[in-house]
Amino acid sequence: MIGKSPRWIPYFTWLLAIVWVIPLVGIVVTSIRPESDTILGWWRLDHVELTLRAWFEVWGKYKLAEGFWVTLELAGVATLGTMILTPAAAYAFQFLRFPFRRTLLVIIINAFVLPAQVVVIPLFTLWRQMGLIDNVLAVLIPYVGLSFAWSIYLVKNFLEDFPRELVEASRIDGCGAIRSFLYVVLPNSLSPIFAVGILQFLFCWNSLLIPLLFMRTQLPLPVVFAQISGMYDANWDLRAVAAIVTTSVPLLVFLIFQRQFAGGSVATSGSKE
Amino acid sequence: MSEVALRGSEGSNSRVVGGAPQRTALRRWIADAPAAYLLLLPVLILFGFAVLYPLVQTIVLSLWDIKGLGKPKFIGLGNFVALVQDANFRQAATTTLLWTLCTTAISVGAGWGIALLCALAPRQTLVPRVIIFAAFGVSEAVIGYVWLQVYRGDTAGLLNAILSGAGLGNLAHAWLGDAKTAIWCLIAAYSWAQTGLPLLVIFAATQAISRNVLEAAYVDGATPMNMMRHIIAPLSMPGVRVALFINLLGSLRAFDTIYVLTGGGPVRSTETIGYFMFRESFTQFKLGYGAAATLILLAAVLIVSIPAILQRTKSTT
Repeated sequence: MIGKSPRWIPYFTWLLAIVWVIPLVGIVVTSIRPESDTILGWWRLDHVELTLRAWFEVWGKYKLAEGFWVTLELAGVATLGTMILTPAAAYAFQFLRFPFRRTLLVIIINAFVLPAQVVVIPLFTLWRQMGLIDNVLAVLIPYVGLSFAWSIYLVKNFLEDFPRELVEASRIDGCGAIRSFLYVVLPNSLSPIFAVGILQFLFCWNSLLIPLLFMRTQLPLPVVFAQISGMYDANWDLRAVAAIVTTSVPLLVFLIFQRQFAGGSVATSGSKE
Repeated sequence: MSEVALRGSEGSNSRVVGGAPQRTALRRWIADAPAAYLLLLPVLILFGFAVLYPLVQTIVLSLWDIKGLGKPKFIGLGNFVALVQDANFRQAATTTLLWTLCTTAISVGAGWGIALLCALAPRQTLVPRVIIFAAFGVSEAVIGYVWLQVYRGDTAGLLNAILSGAGLGNLAHAWLGDAKTAIWCLIAAYSWAQTGLPLLVIFAATQAISRNVLEAAYVDGATPMNMMRHIIAPLSMPGVRVALFINLLGSLRAFDTIYVLTGGGPVRSTETIGYFMFRESFTQFKLGYGAAATLILLAAVLIVSIPAILQRTKSTT
């Protein structure tokens, strides 16, 4: 900033941030204090004792460990699927000519506005007819299928600035369309592909509605957590641990890659400003 | 490779062939078709399964009366007529409007305000910015639980404790159990979580402002507050527009936080259309009815998205 900025601004934003984070601090504190001490509020200091009891007990009480692996598996496979399939499609849309290219492209990239609610009812009846309820495919197909709406847009946006001469040179030297993709475009567009992967991983990890409807036994963390976080359940300490476990991985990924996340969200929203 | 499928080299090719420019054009148009469709095939199949089929089928289902596993009955626009007459749906529509407008206005407003302040002292405010932004990275389902701790009706509820600490103990009550306050509690919780994105996007917009402009203003004697009012705020508008759109879409499709925090209750007072369809279709198994409600949600989403869709379509080649 040029010139002197008012002194109170850093103080004020710090104060705001502290107020902002209080609800989250409450969860962490609740998870490491005996429940009998927090019955009057997690902030009370009349008897201070820290314990990891809830952290050990929670695994036997709720299906968190299993949920963790299910979530990792579902989000991981869906992320890989999107990362592998998206670049090929974005390359085809950007550098190849074929009938209905623009029509297909416009349909796909505008589907990003669709809420998940629009697709779940027909998918539910379809999966029921195909016997896919409680099959990982019932979740993976919508995870990956819905992601193309924003992922192809993001990668294609990157490819718009990719030096066209490189692709043309490879074609003149005898590369076919697919070889030119594999050897020229793909190795040079890893950064948007990883940005797509990070976003997709976060979306899939946090996804609640789709697995809630299509899975019965292999439940990912948000579903497990939603089931135990009902209003009238006791065990505030155990549920606090479950909350932390559920959100730890995505929150960590999110904070490490916040720049990519911001760029990605803006790109997926459809504006380049 | 007798036919090099390149745009640049085609010109000379057509001169050699001579007299058949139309065939050349056609050949150029489909030159890469096999490779392109091969690369696109998995994407088209999955996209068809996950988006196109459900979209068409939602429209079809909305015209049928389907209850549980009973035999579906074609009723034309009957579901939509029933929706309009359904007091619960009308309430859900009102709630959606209130919810969407309030959460978007609060989260974008707060994010904008904080971003402008931070723009005046970017370096000193880095850590508080990340802290506020972090709330946006928490799973939506978990946000519901985080705020459950704040709104608890008993003495361990933070909100009640603050009120009684401030001598307003008579205001304390079960915030989520009261149909009058539950929706506002939800709006506050969701706005809290959604402020991070506008903050980040708008702050990024302010950092893109050219130093020359600010320097010129400084030389002319502008105070930081002047600069904020006349330079930074107006030039942050592109970021504000993007943030408004993202958060509007997010609020319209919100489900997770509502599901965990109130489950649509009490007495369906916190049901948005995005939640109403879930309840009708998956707890009452009225699939056609839910599909019709979903289409109304989709209409709202499309209206909000028209500028973005036009912009995307136009700018994409």
